[in-house]
Amino acid sequence: MLKKMSYSSFPEDVLEHVFSFVQSDKDRNSISLVCKSWYEIERWCRKRIFVGNCYAVSPRRVITRFPEVRSVGLKGKPHFADFNLVPEGWGGYVYPWIAEMASGYPFLEEIRLKRMVVSDESLELIPKSFKNFKVLVLSSCEGFSTQGLAAIAANCRNLRELDLRERSEVSLSALERLLGRCPNLRTLRLNRAVPLDKLANLLRQAPQLVELGTGAYSAELRTEIFSNLAGAFSGCKELKSLSGFWDVVPAYLPAVYSVCTGLTSLNLSYATIQCPDLIKLLKLCPNLQRLWVLDYIEDSGLEALAASCKDLQELRVFPSEPFGVEQNVSLTEQGLVSVSEGCPKLESVLYFCRRMSNDALVTIARNRPNMTRFRLCIIEPRTPDYLTDQPLDVGFGAIVEHCKDLRRLSLSGLLTDRVFEYIGTYAKKLEMLSVAFAGESDLGLHHVLSGCDSLRKLEIRDCPFGDKALLANAAKLETMRSLWMSSCSVSFEACKLLGQKMPRLNVEVIDESGPPDSRPENLPVEKLYIYRTVAGPRFDMPGFVWNMDEDSALRLS
Amino acid sequence: MSEGIMAVVKPEMKSYIWIQTADGSIQQVEEEVAMFCPMICREILQTGMGSSKNYAIPLPQRVNPPIFGLILDYCRFHQVPGRSNKVCSVLSVSCIASLHISGEVLSFLFLGVLVVGGTERKIFDEKFVRMDTKRLCELISAADSLQLKPLVDLTSRALARIIEGKSPEEIRETFHLPDDLTEEEKLEPLKNIADDPRIRLLNRLYAKKRKELRERGKLKNVEVEEELVDERSVDDLLSFINGGNEESKEVKTNKNKKKNRRRKDQLKDSSSNSLNGNHKAFDSLTSACRDGELTDITLSTPSQTSKFQGSTAASFSPKLEFDDSDSDDDLDPVMKEELDREVEDFARRLNSDWPQRMQEILSLSQQRRLLPVSMNGNDSAHRCTDFGQQIILQDQ
Repeated sequence: MLKKMSYSSFPEDVLEHVFSFVQSDKDRNSISLVCKSWYEIERWCRKRIFVGNCYAVSPRRVITRFPEVRSVGLKGKPHFADFNLVPEGWGGYVYPWIAEMASGYPFLEEIRLKRMVVSDESLELIPKSFKNFKVLVLSSCEGFSTQGLAAIAANCRNLRELDLRERSEVSLSALERLLGRCPNLRTLRLNRAVPLDKLANLLRQAPQLVELGTGAYSAELRTEIFSNLAGAFSGCKELKSLSGFWDVVPAYLPAVYSVCTGLTSLNLSYATIQCPDLIKLLKLCPNLQRLWVLDYIEDSGLEALAASCKDLQELRVFPSEPFGVEQNVSLTEQGLVSVSEGCPKLESVLYFCRRMSNDALVTIARNRPNMTRFRLCIIEPRTPDYLTDQPLDVGFGAIVEHCKDLRRLSLSGLLTDRVFEYIGTYAKKLEMLSVAFAGESDLGLHHVLSGCDSLRKLEIRDCPFGDKALLANAAKLETMRSLWMSSCSVSFEACKLLGQKMPRLNVEVIDESGPPDSRPENLPVEKLYIYRTVAGPRFDMPGFVWNMDEDSALRLS
Repeated sequence: MSEGIMAVVKPEMKSYIWIQTADGSIQQVEEEVAMFCPMICREILQTGMGSSKNYAIPLPQRVNPPIFGLILDYCRFHQVPGRSNKVCSVLSVSCIASLHISGEVLSFLFLGVLVVGGTERKIFDEKFVRMDTKRLCELISAADSLQLKPLVDLTSRALARIIEGKSPEEIRETFHLPDDLTEEEKLEPLKNIADDPRIRLLNRLYAKKRKELRERGKLKNVEVEEELVDERSVDDLLSFINGGNEESKEVKTNKNKKKNRRRKDQLKDSSSNSLNGNHKAFDSLTSACRDGELTDITLSTPSQTSKFQGSTAASFSPKLEFDDSDSDDDLDPVMKEELDREVEDFARRLNSDWPQRMQEILSLSQQRRLLPVSMNGNDSAHRCTDFGQQIILQDQ
């Protein structure tokens, strides 16, 4: 038999040069799995690493394998932490990572964190350890204060990006000093505490900004404040993204008009701007690609959006009054249908509303087969099709059938096992699925776990899913990043079994009422978080989290 | 370049450089084309070679004649002055100068030339790299040895595009690369894996599995084939129970610690069985994991075990490189007994109501009955608030 000669018998540095043009994580991972020599070459020239679950691997292991990394991205808590389903103290501490990287990656330039606990101590380590540090993004993080940020601001001269979205108090003078020291700063997101009359000064110090998050957008109505602000904005020629806008006083909105034509991203999700003012603003933004807005935009505003912003790719509509029983604004499924008709590039949607119909969903699916992210949140759980009173199975079925590249889906409304059958059958590229108050039996979960080939993250709450589907598809869990199930029907025994039989999974039971084995036998576990890992059980579990591996589970019973 | 180096300069003809390719054949190449290659350029300048047939410049091994021909085509196109960027920018200066004299039309014409000059290269380059992967690899290798950086970049990008979007298996096929990473390495490819207790446990499980495979090979196949079951769909879920049932029988005989360790190995092997299934699933290249539906089950029947073994025995054994130590795993016998007991209990419990329940569920879904919207008023309101309350939070 003729042995095939490898084509790629050229020098390593040539192969490395080829790899330098392959940047996506997925492709780099594929390259590393090809053969021994490619694996070796790839690992030495990997510059950027993303760890989707900080507990899936130890920092030491990452550093050993990829010695030349310059940019690290980490995620900590599960997504449902955003809905307060993950108790305080659960974990997600970044300190061990920064401590290890301090010795392992002295040339580190970028740290991007999401849903992690970041202490001031961790932040203070950064300028001490990384002389070339450029980018710090803290998204939905907690645990730090001005003190920690001051350390960054004072010592990181090359800082290019600082995102302080979630912070509640920031000293204005510290901020001004930061701006003065960092001429390369391109992204600055302030928080609510920064008043509008101070914004103009900050802007004049940083006219090179590309992304700006304003602080509170209100002040007394005074012409000099307005003209000062408008002038400062007009000096920001590079501005592409605006956000913030807390407590908006509509009279100040025109101050941003000069930058509108250049805007590609607008986040008004905190801004209580009414429809007419919104329409006026949106008409001036023909290049808008991303819009986040409250439902004050209403169906009419969305129609105007569909007419003005033909480049729109992403739309998120948040509810202004989620707990209200009555509908306070005229936002229905029609708004979404209009946008799906008018915006050919629309591919990412997050839409909160109070009513939906199968017809509307089918229309949207047919209009936008290029949809990649579709998250629909009908506010009241188990709401049926408002026209027919039927479940919304067929509507969501149309979405997964027509949108062949769908990667993310969130379901809501009245749904039976049938919708999961559709999903398992059609959603072959689906990577993340969020389910709440849906389904009838284990068959639903089984359809998803056995059918969705690309599934990475599954989060489920308040669904009648139990042990059978979970155990029958145990191996699937190792191909996914994580599974979250809360208020479902999974028994403690099943968790134990899973934990004992699957050494490469961490099966964590979260129960704030006491040790899970102390509960009555038939009571399902409160919360279950399963994730694949090569790092074994974690060492920082709080008292209310139990790991179900062999040693721990046996210790319990 | 000094005149002395140039020999045989005929005023009415171009000057040529003599080149010798790896196969020994010698050819003449137009001077300006050959000089486009830094390596050839340096040879000429430093050694004075290339001026005559006897002193032909030898090309590196990696440059074979057909590839050299391609490279010459590339050099021939790109070294033409009309296409260089420098000239284009000169044009742009004159364009600006002429704006207020000749008006828009003329400047537009100049601009047109600018644009054409810029994209002419691009069009050529894109056409140029349209060739099979084998040739592309030879080309990049040759370009690298001739230090022709623009061509190295061009071919690198082309190769990168070929690599993008492919699975590891597809990449291997495209480039004829060996599949020499072990299963272990594919999961966590590190030399120093011994320090992780989990990996050690995995190692031992694999070693046991390999032993099991070998021992089974010695046994007659009759016993194995009898138990082969090939039912799909509903039984995928049901077989969990069947597996638990048979497993528990074997587990009962396990109580006696002095019993043959091989029995215990079977229990361990069934878990390593699922690990193999997991490996298959985890290994992105094998879609064969789909028929590993049966192996998803944590307690699998011997029949399924053997079925799985049959399909993977070939691929499994050569990859393992762990020492075949017979040492016990870390569980002490008491714990193992507890574990066995728990498993048995659980399987029994599931077994009692599962088949009926399954039938119920299936008939329900077939009738497509609409479930009544059952909501405890207070509960749902509370739930809604809880759920609704949090959605305001950043959902990025």
